[in-house]
Amino acid sequence: MSLKNIQIKPILTRILAALTPVLATLAAMGIFAVILMTLGANPIDAYGALIEGAVGSPNAIADTLVKATPLLLIGLGTCIAFRGGVVNIGGEGQLVVGALAATLLGLLYPEAPGYVIIPLAMGAGFLAGGVWGGIPGVLKAYFNVNEILSTIMMNQIAVQGMNFLLRDAMIDPVQLEAASRIPQTARLAAQFDLPRLVPTRLHLGALLAVIAAVLVYIFLWRTTIGYRIRAVGLNAAAARYAGINVKRYMVLSLLLSGALGGLAGAVQVYGVSHRMFTDGSAAGFTGSAGFNGIVAALFGQLHPIGTIPAAILFGALLVGANKLQRVVQVPSALVIALNGLVVIFVVSSEIWRRRQTRVQQRMEPDNTPPDGGKPPGQLEQGEIG
Amino acid sequence: MNEFDQLLKQLSSIVLQSSPLIIAVCGETITERVGLINLSLDGTMLLAAMTGFVVGLQSNSVILGFLAAAFVGLLFALIVAFGSIRLKQSQVAIGFVLTLLGDDLSAFLGQNFTRIPGVFVKKVGIPILEDIPILGPLFFDQDLVVYFALILVGVTWWFFFRTQPGLKLRGVGERPESAFARGVKVNQLRYLYAMLGGALVGIAGAAYSLDVKVGWSEGNTRGLGWIALAIVIFGGWSPIRGAIGALLFGATKTLATILQQTYSEIGVVFTSITWILMLAVLLVSASELTERFINFMPLAWRRPLRRFLRVTAPMALGTRFGED
Repeated sequence: MSLKNIQIKPILTRILAALTPVLATLAAMGIFAVILMTLGANPIDAYGALIEGAVGSPNAIADTLVKATPLLLIGLGTCIAFRGGVVNIGGEGQLVVGALAATLLGLLYPEAPGYVIIPLAMGAGFLAGGVWGGIPGVLKAYFNVNEILSTIMMNQIAVQGMNFLLRDAMIDPVQLEAASRIPQTARLAAQFDLPRLVPTRLHLGALLAVIAAVLVYIFLWRTTIGYRIRAVGLNAAAARYAGINVKRYMVLSLLLSGALGGLAGAVQVYGVSHRMFTDGSAAGFTGSAGFNGIVAALFGQLHPIGTIPAAILFGALLVGANKLQRVVQVPSALVIALNGLVVIFVVSSEIWRRRQTRVQQRMEPDNTPPDGGKPPGQLEQGEIG
Repeated sequence: MNEFDQLLKQLSSIVLQSSPLIIAVCGETITERVGLINLSLDGTMLLAAMTGFVVGLQSNSVILGFLAAAFVGLLFALIVAFGSIRLKQSQVAIGFVLTLLGDDLSAFLGQNFTRIPGVFVKKVGIPILEDIPILGPLFFDQDLVVYFALILVGVTWWFFFRTQPGLKLRGVGERPESAFARGVKVNQLRYLYAMLGGALVGIAGAAYSLDVKVGWSEGNTRGLGWIALAIVIFGGWSPIRGAIGALLFGATKTLATILQQTYSEIGVVFTSITWILMLAVLLVSASELTERFINFMPLAWRRPLRRFLRVTAPMALGTRFGED
């Protein structure tokens, strides 16, 4: 191999690897265009509406970023969990619990100044989410309970708890008097609204999420604890021989992952909805951010910085889809299907990309064999994407 | 006597409500016994429920509805198996994405068919058997879905533990390399049983939309797939124990609904109790603490206690096997 080849090829591969999700998104949109045509809609108009809805005006851009914020925070949590070798599908529940804790704080001290309550509420959300993520962590590490199932169950418990509290203890006094009794809390005091960055709906939470992304990156790659978390995720047995307390770091990664989900909930309440409400399901309040955030993280290749553009792209899709629906008059469920298509394409492209990497590894004898790294009989739960 | 009849009616409805879950648990047990995890159960069941209902409605045939649903389940399981065996990817990731896709697709494709009447499975009592006191009304005065579920449990158990193909199936899930050395085509069997299990999960989905919760609405069976996955673990990968788990789940759920109406102030306790119980059950059956507790017991008790409390997963569950 010539020197030139050695230098350029890895760079090209990296660029291609980073572009694969984008290409996959384009492919998904191509398929969606065909579906639109079969429904009698003009795909060019449709995508025009989608792009205009997502980035067509300062307000639209702000909306996109606002939608991207919880996705990014959940996605960051996903990065930590998956890098630590555990799967956290409990984003929905952690978001709900974080939002509940933050709302409760705001409702209890309506007279307090904003600069006191806002940081405290963010902290409360962070803590509550951490507890909600830490429980499956403890169950997984010390009691061998499958964390995929336990996080899903914690989601359900959180939603039931939310429904109960919003219909009873935390219900808006106005709704209590009214016959309708809509299950929602009172609006939080105006001084608790997260400051707006520019005169749009864009709030401080978006900036907070980006800072969190940088912090998570530093945490995972520049600190000892982060290094240990990744070591446990890469090879738990080797980490144990190296003297790392595997169980403790398993709990820690799920706990931090949940905490970021809880922060997402607190940010949603203080930055966007200013109250909590429920329609009985989790998605009514979260807008499925707890699931979409996981996909955004997979899209960003489980890297905190890569998750930023991924979350923005998904936010744009969500916001643009609303406009698309209004302009082209396609059924709302079709728009959900577009998200599904993008997800499937991105994940399968990731599969394809990994396969390519493996083929390359196989050709270079110095690397470990692609399938030989794992002893048989060991569940490979951490390996996702 | 009247109260007794009421109770009997309640119990027989629990049996009916639990039977789709029993079918799904059997299907997933087969898949996991052969060493694959099909995590897409929740999405598969939603899409299968929708497909089964729509096909049944359009063709005016319950059978065709079930067949279409089985095909959907088979297809999803095939994707998981192909992604894992051929593309060498994480089954968990593929399963999770398929869960979301099945949910979205069912909402999209079924949107014009929500909350309309359709075909459904009719109740057929089995002569003679239905006259047995108590057991008759519980198990033999039901519809075909219930009979199918009960027979399926028996057949699956018999197949697993009393036939040679069943032995091969378990061998592939426990020690694929040994099975391979003995000439078993490991990956071929994994495809086969993954598809069989997937088809059963699909049938379970249709059993909801065509029988238990007749009709289709968005998110009709959401959550039940995850329950089924948990019950498979609770059942220790045995169809009979799994079926008991499904029945217990149905019973706690009904009980919770009744208690919730009675004590509405603390209703939340009862709506989430099934989930908390599931967590507790997973904790007991998988935890090291249980092992320690068993070792405190007298020697003679240990074996039956361990059989009762502890479960172990198939050893090769979730791993790949490269034949090349």
